[in-house]
This record gives sequence, C-alpha cells and structure tokens, in this order.
Amino acid sequence: MEAELKWLDDPEVFRVNQLPAHSDHRFYRDQEEAALEKSSYVQNLNGRWGFKFSKNPMERPVDFYKLDFDRNDFGEIEVPSEIELSNFAQINYTNITMPWTGKIYRRPAYTLGDNKEEGSFSQGQDNTVGSYVRHFTLAEGLKNHDVHVVFEGVERAMYVWLNGHFIGYAEDSFTPSEFDLTPYLVDGDNLLAVEVYKHATSSWIEDQDMFRFSGIFRDVNLVAQPSIHVQDLKINARVADDMKTGSLGLVLKMVGQPGSVQVEVADQTGAAVLNRQLNADGNWTMAPVQLVGIHLWDNHHPYLYQLTLTVRDATGRVVEVIPYQFGFRRVEIDQDKVLRLNGKRLIINGVNRHEWNCHRGRAVTIEDMHTDLGIFKENNINAVRTSHYPDQIPWYYLCDREGIYMMAENNLESHATWQKFGQDEPSYNVPGSLPQWKEAVVDRARSNYEIFKNHTAILFWSVGNESYAGEDILAMNNYYKEVDDTRPVHYEGVVHTKEYRDQISDFESWMYLPPKEVEAYLKKNPDKPFIECEYMHSMGNSVGGMGSYIKLLDKYPQYCGGFIWDFVDQAIEVVDPVTGQKSMRYGGDFDDHHADNEFSGDGICFADRTPKPAMQEVKYYYGLHK
Amino acid sequence: MDYTNKLHVVYDDNILGLDGKDFQYLFSYEQGGPESFKIKGKEWLYRSPRPTFWRATTDNDRGNGFNVSSVQWLAADYVLPCQDIALQVDGKDKKLPLAPKTNRYSNQEFAKKVKITFTYQTQTVPATTVQVSYTVKASGKIKVNVHYTGAQLPSLPVLGWRMIMPTPATSFDYEGLSGETYPDRMAGGIEGTYHVEGLPVTPYLVPQENGMHMANKWVQITRATTLNNADPDAAPFRLKFEAPKKGKLNFSCLPYTSAELENATHPEELPAAHRTVLVIAGEVRGVGGIDSWGADVEEKYHIDATVDHDFSFKIVPELN
Repeated sequence: MEAELKWLDDPEVFRVNQLPAHSDHRFYRDQEEAALEKSSYVQNLNGRWGFKFSKNPMERPVDFYKLDFDRNDFGEIEVPSEIELSNFAQINYTNITMPWTGKIYRRPAYTLGDNKEEGSFSQGQDNTVGSYVRHFTLAEGLKNHDVHVVFEGVERAMYVWLNGHFIGYAEDSFTPSEFDLTPYLVDGDNLLAVEVYKHATSSWIEDQDMFRFSGIFRDVNLVAQPSIHVQDLKINARVADDMKTGSLGLVLKMVGQPGSVQVEVADQTGAAVLNRQLNADGNWTMAPVQLVGIHLWDNHHPYLYQLTLTVRDATGRVVEVIPYQFGFRRVEIDQDKVLRLNGKRLIINGVNRHEWNCHRGRAVTIEDMHTDLGIFKENNINAVRTSHYPDQIPWYYLCDREGIYMMAENNLESHATWQKFGQDEPSYNVPGSLPQWKEAVVDRARSNYEIFKNHTAILFWSVGNESYAGEDILAMNNYYKEVDDTRPVHYEGVVHTKEYRDQISDFESWMYLPPKEVEAYLKKNPDKPFIECEYMHSMGNSVGGMGSYIKLLDKYPQYCGGFIWDFVDQAIEVVDPVTGQKSMRYGGDFDDHHADNEFSGDGICFADRTPKPAMQEVKYYYGLHK
Repeated sequence: MDYTNKLHVVYDDNILGLDGKDFQYLFSYEQGGPESFKIKGKEWLYRSPRPTFWRATTDNDRGNGFNVSSVQWLAADYVLPCQDIALQVDGKDKKLPLAPKTNRYSNQEFAKKVKITFTYQTQTVPATTVQVSYTVKASGKIKVNVHYTGAQLPSLPVLGWRMIMPTPATSFDYEGLSGETYPDRMAGGIEGTYHVEGLPVTPYLVPQENGMHMANKWVQITRATTLNNADPDAAPFRLKFEAPKKGKLNFSCLPYTSAELENATHPEELPAAHRTVLVIAGEVRGVGGIDSWGADVEEKYHIDATVDHDFSFKIVPELN
C-alpha cells in the first residue's frame, strides 16, 4: 500500500493501518521491572531527530523516507517538541477563527452539497510539513518480538514509513497512534520516517482555543509485543448499593501463544484480597468476584487497590507482568437528578486544563503535571476537565492517585464552523449530521474510551467542546452509552441545538451562564443536573462574583458546581529584545494575524504557573464544599 | 517658636504654609492642591494629589464595553482643574488671603486647626464637582475628606484620591486582607497585618488595574530615597494612612498611574519605576468574572455616579 496525499482532504480517511485503540496498561518482563516501572519491552525514541521543514506540501522532499534519499540538507529537531517553538514556522494564536481565514478560502468537505474540496489541504499553501527521520537499532529486549511504534501525540496528520515501506497514516492529534513495524524491521539500523502535516480535514474539528502548533509533541516509543500478551484490559470494579461491597470483574483481550494469567489484587497494606488464575480456554474473562468491606475511592481518600496480572506461557515461564491500580467508586445521577459519588452528593470544584508550558507549548512534562496537582491540592480544586482533548497518559494515572475527578473530553471542537461573529450560523458545521464526518468523530470517542476506560478518576465522558450538535455527535454520545454504563456523558453544545437535548448529555451544561439564569433553570424542577463545564472566566484581573455561583450549591442539590476557565495562561516566554526582560507573549506578538491577542490568558495561574491573585478566592470558595 | 500645641500658619502669596515640629506642608493655590508634605526633612509629594476616576481597563472591562461607556472618566481623571479653594481656620470660614492682602500677616500666625478645601470640576457631560478637604492639626495629622457630587453620568471605574510620591517605595505594610482584593473578590482574603516588598505590579499579560487592597485599618508606606540632592541619608522613613474610626480604607500602591498602565501592552513596556502611586479608594468597582466578552460586573459592585459619595482617611506622620 502506498501513501496518498489526498487523504488530507478526505474526512473519511483518518486512520490507515493504525492499530485499534486499547487500554493504556503498561507491561513489564517481570515483577522486578514492574517495581522499577522500567520495561525492557519499551524503547524510547525521544531525542534529536533528523528534520526538514517545508512551507507546504508542494515544497516537501517527497521521497525523504526512502533509504537512498539524500538527506544532506536535513537539520535536526527535538522530539517531542512543537515545530513553531523551534522557530521553523510562525507562532499563531487564534481562538475561534480558523488560522487561514481571509487568506485561503476553504469550506469543510461535503458541507455545501457534494463539495469534496479536493486539494484543500494536500495543496494548501499554508500547510506546513515536517519531515522527520530517526535511525534506530532495536534494543535487546525488543529483539525477536513483534514491535509496534506508538506516537503519543502528533499534530495534526501523520504518515509513517519504516525502511522505505509505508506503514500507516493517522489523524486525531491528541490520541496515541500505534502501528505495527514488524514486517519491515531489519537487524541493525532501521530508518523510521514521519511526515507531519499541520492541516488536514481534521483541522476543522480541532479548532480549540489555543496556539496553533504542529509536530511530534509527545513521546515516541517502540513497544515489543510479548509472545503472549494482554492487548486490552478492562477492569470492571463496581460498588453495591450498600457502598461497602465491591465486585471486580476482568475482561482481557489476549494475543499470541496460549498461556495463563494469574490475577492478584492487594489492598494498600499489601494484603491479598483476591488471587485467581485464568487459563487459556478461550475465555479470558474473570466473572465479577464479590469483595466485602471495600475501601472506597474519592478525593479525600483516593484509595487504590493494586491489581497485578502475571502472564505465563505454556511452559509456565513469566512473559509479562501488568500492574494496574484501580479504585472502587460509584458515580450516578439519582432519581432527583442529584449527582452522587459513593452515595453522597458530589460537588465539582473544578478547573479546565489545557496542557501548557510557557517554553514547551503543549509538550508538557511530568514535572508540570506534579506542579499542577500540587496547586490543585493547595487550593481545594478537586476536579479537572481535559479541555478539549485527551491529555498525556501519565496525567490520568496521577489523577487516580491524587483523587482528582476527571471529565475526560474528546479531541473535538469545530467552533468556527457554526459560530460566526458571535452568532450561531451552522451553514457549514461539521461534523453535524454528515455521514462523511461521522466515523472520524466516533473513532475519537472510541479511542478516548478504550485507552482510558480503567481510570478510576474519570467520572464523566465529554464528547467534545463547542461543536454544535447533529447525528454525528449523537452517535458519539450513544457510543459511550453502549460501552459504559458506569459514567454519565457530558456535552454542552445541545444548548445551541435544543432538538438534541433529550438525546445527548446526561447533564444540563451551559458554559458561562450567569448565576441568575442558572438559578432559573434549577428552580424549574430540572430533568438533568446542572454543571458549568466552563465558568469564572479568569482572564486578566477577574474571578469576581464567584460567591453568586457557590451559594447556589446550598440551595439546589441539582447544581453540581463547575470548572473554572481555565488553569494556566497560554502565553510564551521570550526575552524582550528591547529591555532584556523576560516577557510573556500572546497572540499577535509574533506578527501573526488573524490573532486573538491576550484572550489565551485565562488561567487562575500565570503562564509560568504562579497563581494569580484571584487564587485565594478560588481556594476559599472551593473550600466551602470540600 | 513654640510648636507644642499650635500650628504655625504662613498666609503667603499663592501658598498656604502649615508647619509644626518636624513637618511642613504647603498648599498651593496655583496648583490647586497640596504641593509639599515634608516630614522630618523628607518630601512625600511629587505632584499635587487629585481625585481619581479611572482604573486601567481590565480584560473584563474591555470585553463588556465598560471602557467605552465610562470613557468620560478617563478624561476627567487625566485633567481635573481646580475651580475653587476655601479656607477654614479654627472652625471659622476665612476668605482666602491673596496678594496684596497677604501683606497684612506676619510670621507669628498660629491656629489649632486649619482646613483647606479644593473643589475640582470634572470634564464630563454634564460636569460635576469633587471636593477634597485637608484638615491639619498641630500634631501634623491630616484628615482628608472627599465628597463627590452625584450627576447623570456613567458608572464610575473607581472613586479615589491619588498621591504620587517622589521616589519608589521599598515596601509597604498594611492591616487588612491578604492578597489583592476587590469588592466582588474579597471573601478569600484573610485578615492580618501584611508586609509587601517593593511595589509589585501583577503581571497580567496586558497591564491593567491591579493591586487593590480592600477593607484595611491602615497602610504604611516605607521609602528610603528622596530627590533632595542634599540628602545623602538612606535610612528608611515612613508615612501612615489610617481609616476613619468607623470605616475601612481601600488602597493600591503601585509605581504607576492608571494612565501608564493603560498604555502598555506588556509589563516590560511599562516605564522604569520612578515613583510611588498611592490610591486611596473610597469606592471600588468589582472586577467581574462571569465571562470576558460581555457579562457585566454584578450590579451591587458598580459605583453609581448619580448619587453623592463621601470618604475620608487620615495621613499620620511618624513624629517623635
């Protein structure tokens, strides 16, 4: 199979040869590796990669992935990083407006009849291309195994080759993309080549309020597949009505040779609470086991149990050890439309969080995550919405551990296609009800679920942000309903599309609705609990009047609280050439137009993560309903 | 001269001088306000204090158009002519002595209490007036009263009294609420006595109103430098501003005026910090927070310009 550039123009092509999404469990060769959290099945490819930047597809080195291609004019780039922050391409911040507006006339394919928009991106003058190459030799631990390559995040469309052979194509910038390299791997030196396009049809549905970057901005790993391997793990941990009895079931998807799986669960003291063996009888399911007197997980006591799967081959040799920590908790909306966690009313003292680092853009580090959680704890923040895309995988593990309630949002926003000059005008809205766009967005819902389904911290799925609504978003909502009966689904956009209100979203969610109007809703015997997926817009000197929202919590049990917009200013630190002082730059500061200027500075922390003066108010009000 | 219980009054040409032990105040008829507060040899005024009406536009102000609807107050803040000056000595009204009538006086004029009131006219449509009176006692304490006369004018961004000191403060201390507070964002402030080093400007991406402190008993400014070429002394010196017995005092203490903040698009574009700008704010508008593209600050945190407003505070020199 050969790569085709026209895929960039076709909303129906969004993954080619990409392996199905699966749970994010880590696997190790043995218990010792598991204890050190260092897997010899994994080879990290971060670091300096060969790199060539092209202003558009026409200028790109078409054959760069071929072994005999002359790459003498290639430079280098750090992986992971943003291409723009390495100064290859212009930095730009725009909120709703697409970055090409007023420069290149585009409409999303199929929105105006049968407009296929051929060439829209594949010949786009603004569609920058990053041609990446990385040589590698398989580490010892990966030899004689099937080997996959996993890109944790690449904006925005990516073609992959190995040793000159086309491997696959992926979109969905904020979701891991995994490909099988096995057929083309060679002993000794291998050449991995990746071509990254800034724009594709997916640009229309990744119109989040953020700096517009491109590049391989998250980790890249080679991952060996053990001879017998848990490809997917589903932990089914439930809490009975008495809030004391748990049940634990497992569904494993196994690949490779026959073998057995030892299932062990320990509590926090290390005491075993369960020990089972599953054998290769074709049924890799552990029927729910009842556990009496369980410790429940919540924000105050994020009690996690240690699950360990030990996979053995037919000879009894250990080939894979999988540790996974999970908690017992139960989230539900009761018959009075009150949101409950473990039977108690749940109040969301939340923030929206973009992944942001003022030097690295969205290529945030583990240290950034730890800093953020420290600020959460210090200021009584108990919940986070992953606005507006899935975050790096470690963030979910950390939220499990710290007891941070997550609204896990899909990578979806198509704001420019339906809201123009402040008015709802969905004449070319995507995904809308267009069949050609449906699979792309449902696939995003599927990836979000399959990868993160085992995270205790995730209490709600969110199908996306500011994308209007139609049959396609309904299909996303329904997907979650089919696969997960334990978590409510959130979507805000139905406030603009009342006809879908009864079908989409378990919450009444209306961002920035003033307190009086929230109260008006709550007074009228609400049929859904109310949540503000975004409120208290913390732009500049703001966060006044928060008390008017918080007092609604005492009056109306159907009010769930909300998520402040947002956590950290998106701004980029540079040295001002005039004064020599450090300076936080925002939209328009890079000669970038259209730009939405300082509108990206809405954090309750400055871009360097220093809390703004308003934080003490947040701490106070969020401390009232801890 | 015996300063112990009397204020020395100098009825001079264009200037009313009031002094006592370790303090000397000059009120200028030309400048239409106080020109000098010299305390233990240290000058505290750089320019004559004035009422202030404008706060540097916040992102929320811009978003909801408050900077448009209230823009008259920008002009009123920028230029504020003095219309009238009234004098009261020991409780009795006294016609302001101008030359040549000043020739009738001597260097032996004393009083217990002198009150001088400056009336300013706002450049708004319609115009209104603000009166600022300074009541000086032999102790050197100055009581400042500000009276705003209501008129059919747009809601006020702030109503305060602004004093520009010659050099930047090294620190300030206050008794009130922690952090920066506004009427609609002060629930989280914790009562206490706080010390703030330097004159921090909150680094919002675009400089804007910042640094307000609500509901204080007092604030004390500490400086260590003067502009006096003959003053090599670098020892710190202080001036205290106190709330009235029944009431609280709101203030911000920054190196910039609202106009300076208003003009910058980034913090590093602000001028080098040369002064201390103290605003004692009788009325503070809330900052809002519902959104940044239209939602107004909640009504109860507006400053109604159609009604009268009064506030007062005391300037208390640290004298031995």
